[in-house]
Amino acid sequence: MDTFLEQLPIVIHSLNTGFLQTMKLFFVTLLGAVPLGLLISFGTLSEFAPVRVFLNLLIWVVRGTPLMIQLLIIYYFPGLVLKNPVWGGGEAGRFAASAVAFVINYACYFSEIFRGGIISIPLGQDEAGMVLGMTKTQIFFRIKLLQMIKRILPPMSNEILTLVKDTSLARIIALQEVIWAGQAFMKGSQGISGAIWPLFFTAVYYLACNGLLTLLFNRAERKLEYFR
Amino acid sequence: MIKKMISMALMATLCLSMTACGSGSGSTSKDSGKSVQSDADSGQSGDNGNAQDGSSAESDKAAVVDKGTLVVGITDFEPMDYKDENGNWIGFDADMATAFAESLGIKAEFVEIEWDNKALELSSGNIDCVWNGMTLTDEVKGSMNCSNPYCNNAQIVIVPAEKASEYQTVDSLNGLNFAVEVGSAGETQAKEHGLTYTAVSNQAGALMEVAAGTSDAAIIDSLMAAAMVGEGTSYDQLTYTVGLNSEEYGVGFRKGSDLKDALDEFFKASYADGTMQKIADTYGVQAALIAQ
Repeated sequence: MDTFLEQLPIVIHSLNTGFLQTMKLFFVTLLGAVPLGLLISFGTLSEFAPVRVFLNLLIWVVRGTPLMIQLLIIYYFPGLVLKNPVWGGGEAGRFAASAVAFVINYACYFSEIFRGGIISIPLGQDEAGMVLGMTKTQIFFRIKLLQMIKRILPPMSNEILTLVKDTSLARIIALQEVIWAGQAFMKGSQGISGAIWPLFFTAVYYLACNGLLTLLFNRAERKLEYFR
Repeated sequence: MIKKMISMALMATLCLSMTACGSGSGSTSKDSGKSVQSDADSGQSGDNGNAQDGSSAESDKAAVVDKGTLVVGITDFEPMDYKDENGNWIGFDADMATAFAESLGIKAEFVEIEWDNKALELSSGNIDCVWNGMTLTDEVKGSMNCSNPYCNNAQIVIVPAEKASEYQTVDSLNGLNFAVEVGSAGETQAKEHGLTYTAVSNQAGALMEVAAGTSDAAIIDSLMAAAMVGEGTSYDQLTYTVGLNSEEYGVGFRKGSDLKDALDEFFKASYADGTMQKIADTYGVQAALIAQ
């Protein structure tokens, strides 16, 4: 047990660094995918057919292929096919490529949730708004948006908790997130070699993070309980 | 009307977001400020595209020197490439790579890669060489332009210590379920000896299989086994028995790259003046060193 206590601070430091990268990818994806997803959902509801067809095609491809393959394509395609490795070999490039892949992927999933939220609002509300002389933008932001948010909270919490865990997929292009950091100790890193427990210990980080997010979502749901 | 405008804006955003991210990160680099500047230069000037075409007539060496950094693809692998307490990359391979880059008048930048994707990393131009105790198998030689061998290695069998006495010969291994790293020299050996095996993602994973009892034995590099198995590790219940082959380590470059010739010459020079032996001594691999 003596060695365990010696290893603990080194491992925790390394896992913290890895988890910071995980969190960075999580927040960047969330910040990018929510607005992009909203735009895509408007597009799929558009009366302009070419936009609708293009976006449905995009959603089909993105939701229909594994995120792991999308990461590989986005990171390696520029160098392999276009002969111009825009991302570079460094960690920042790997992060940027991961972020792009995650934003596009999650925006497509989010957009379908948003679309479901928007069409769940009864048409009578649009009509009532129009009778009052409101524009379509006003109707969306003043009448429908908050109701939509309330309705999509449960499916969104599902997706967002999944996102926290999905960030580990970025290790396929060698982004050094928390699982990568944990696994490094299995072969040897910073004087610790052949330690298995750090890999399993990474689960604690995900669990704590998702616990916090679950509390936040519950709170948000309670705050929105004042209307039906 | 508004919906149409939003749709248009969306299309524009999508296109922009792709190009913006693409060019924005071209200048990023894990290395310190100095190299970022040079990276940015080569990234923006447009001649980068041609330079990466190293497989044909263009000089890969010239392109790398022009870029100012030799990007070395590694995995965290004691005693070849690993981090010291300050987070700097050290090890026999790391020190040699730093010295080689210095001989070209540039800096070495170390990047951890997923070992499975090493050929992909090289040919896509994200890294310039694989320098990480890489066994020169036919597969590796076929997909990369490899340097002369510089270090001897062997693939050895790992079993639980209490069963070690039963498995001291190659013949005794039949009937065991092995775990090997996918695409590794260990997998090649398992195939050649007709052993039953499961391919796992890395050598450490193969060891975990044995420790957890999900596989009976593993096949890994002897240099690595020396560092990872035995007293003072989580694998103190494991030990190594039979060596299956002997093999050699080399450095991999892009196909057709002239950096290979530069490195072979560098190896000769540094072996002749004794620097290579000195570095090998530091990391305890002097016995495995190959004369250049």
